[in-house]
Amino acid sequence: MQNFIDAYSWVNARYLLEGLWITIEVSVISIILSYILGAILGLIRYIKLKYVSAIVGFVIDLIRNLPLLLIIFFTYFGLPNIGVRLNPIWSSILAMSIFESAMLAEIIRSGISAVDPGQMEGARANGLSYWQAMWHIVLPQAQKKMIPTIVSQFISLIKDTSLATIIVLPDLMYHAQIIYGQNSNYILPMFLALAVMYFVVCYLLSILSHYLERRLA
Amino acid sequence: MKKLIRYLGLLTSLCVLALVLSSCGTKKAASQSVLSRAEETNTIVWGVKADTKLFGLMDVKDSQIKGFDVDIAKALTKQILGSKGKASFIQVSSQTRIPLLKNGNIDAVVATMTITPDRQKVVDFSDHYFNAGQSLLVKKGSSVKSVKDLDKTGTRVLAVTGANSVANFQKVAPKARVLELQDYAQALQALKSGQGQALTTDNGILLGMAAENPGYQVVGSAFTKEPYGIAVNKGQKAFVNKINQALKKIRENGEYDRIVKKWFGNISGFDYKEAEK
Repeated sequence: MQNFIDAYSWVNARYLLEGLWITIEVSVISIILSYILGAILGLIRYIKLKYVSAIVGFVIDLIRNLPLLLIIFFTYFGLPNIGVRLNPIWSSILAMSIFESAMLAEIIRSGISAVDPGQMEGARANGLSYWQAMWHIVLPQAQKKMIPTIVSQFISLIKDTSLATIIVLPDLMYHAQIIYGQNSNYILPMFLALAVMYFVVCYLLSILSHYLERRLA
Repeated sequence: MKKLIRYLGLLTSLCVLALVLSSCGTKKAASQSVLSRAEETNTIVWGVKADTKLFGLMDVKDSQIKGFDVDIAKALTKQILGSKGKASFIQVSSQTRIPLLKNGNIDAVVATMTITPDRQKVVDFSDHYFNAGQSLLVKKGSSVKSVKDLDKTGTRVLAVTGANSVANFQKVAPKARVLELQDYAQALQALKSGQGQALTTDNGILLGMAAENPGYQVVGSAFTKEPYGIAVNKGQKAFVNKINQALKKIRENGEYDRIVKKWFGNISGFDYKEAEK
């Protein structure tokens, strides 16, 4: 019991929160970048442009079938070989954004495909151009369908940032490791604190998702 | 089928591109002189561990890495660049230290790194700056008295990934199974929860753990010699020479002795005279 009291000292708690802040920072930037990139890639794959869509499709398939850890290794250990030297934070953001945008591209493509083709035909028959129909009729309906899947993808992104501890990203997981490095008796208290912190952040995000679903429905 | 061929073609061209790019890169990193860059910027960038007690551990209170390796690096910086020279520290792990050195993110590694022939193929080492020996940590009252007791089928021994201790242990006790964990605290936790009969790594680290956990003790004498060296990228002979000169100087002027005593002087059972050799 004493271990728990000592482990949650003010200094340690503050250090954990600093780590949480890095986790949130990396997650939020990656979520924004991957959402934009994922939407563009997903649309390109959906509209079947000659050659371009095939190449984009290939790249998406390639990235989706690689372990995220490997992509992190590429951005941290591989890129310096071509003269791009990123610190652990930006390497992680880049790796997460690449990986997640491929995941999101597939979610967005299948979300658009799931909208009844009659919607597009109807909109076109009423005189809307292809892109007008896409923007005003198809995408809003697709978005509603995609929200739960996209949010669960974001939740796994937040949890996956912990993989980057291996390249010494000073995130929540790494800071917990440093704390139980000071005293090995703190290991269980730290795992418990990690569980609570990851849960709270991810659960808040899923509450937001339920709210959005209800509002858009 | 046509689609498959197109995919394969694309994949090969990507691989070729990656190869070409990586070959340009390596030449560039190797040709830069670390020493002249360090003198220009008046800074040496050291790779140190931040999660290893006694050698390099982040202090949660002021976010400074502290430990034996860090103090050695600071002392060497003063010798190489003069009293105004700056030592900057980048956190490494056993897995990242060699790639970071090769990529030029860091100038040298001082991170409990044992000099081994395999590693000498990829990096250059300075003279050794610490003599560790590998030992065993067990629960008090355990039947394990030395490494021989573990050389049976069915025994499981805990170690840390990326460290040299795994290969060493397999040489002396080939019948035992080695479980590799992410860091020392996790390995100790695994020992406590009975995942293995013993934990093996360098004795300094084990004695530190035993001091913290009264129910555990270090048994048997050290069964290997682990000379720690400072690693530098290949082709930086001038820098290695500078480090060796600086090491010699701090050994002569007593600074080295002071650093060893500061970190290991009050660990009971640790023979720091042996470590200094």
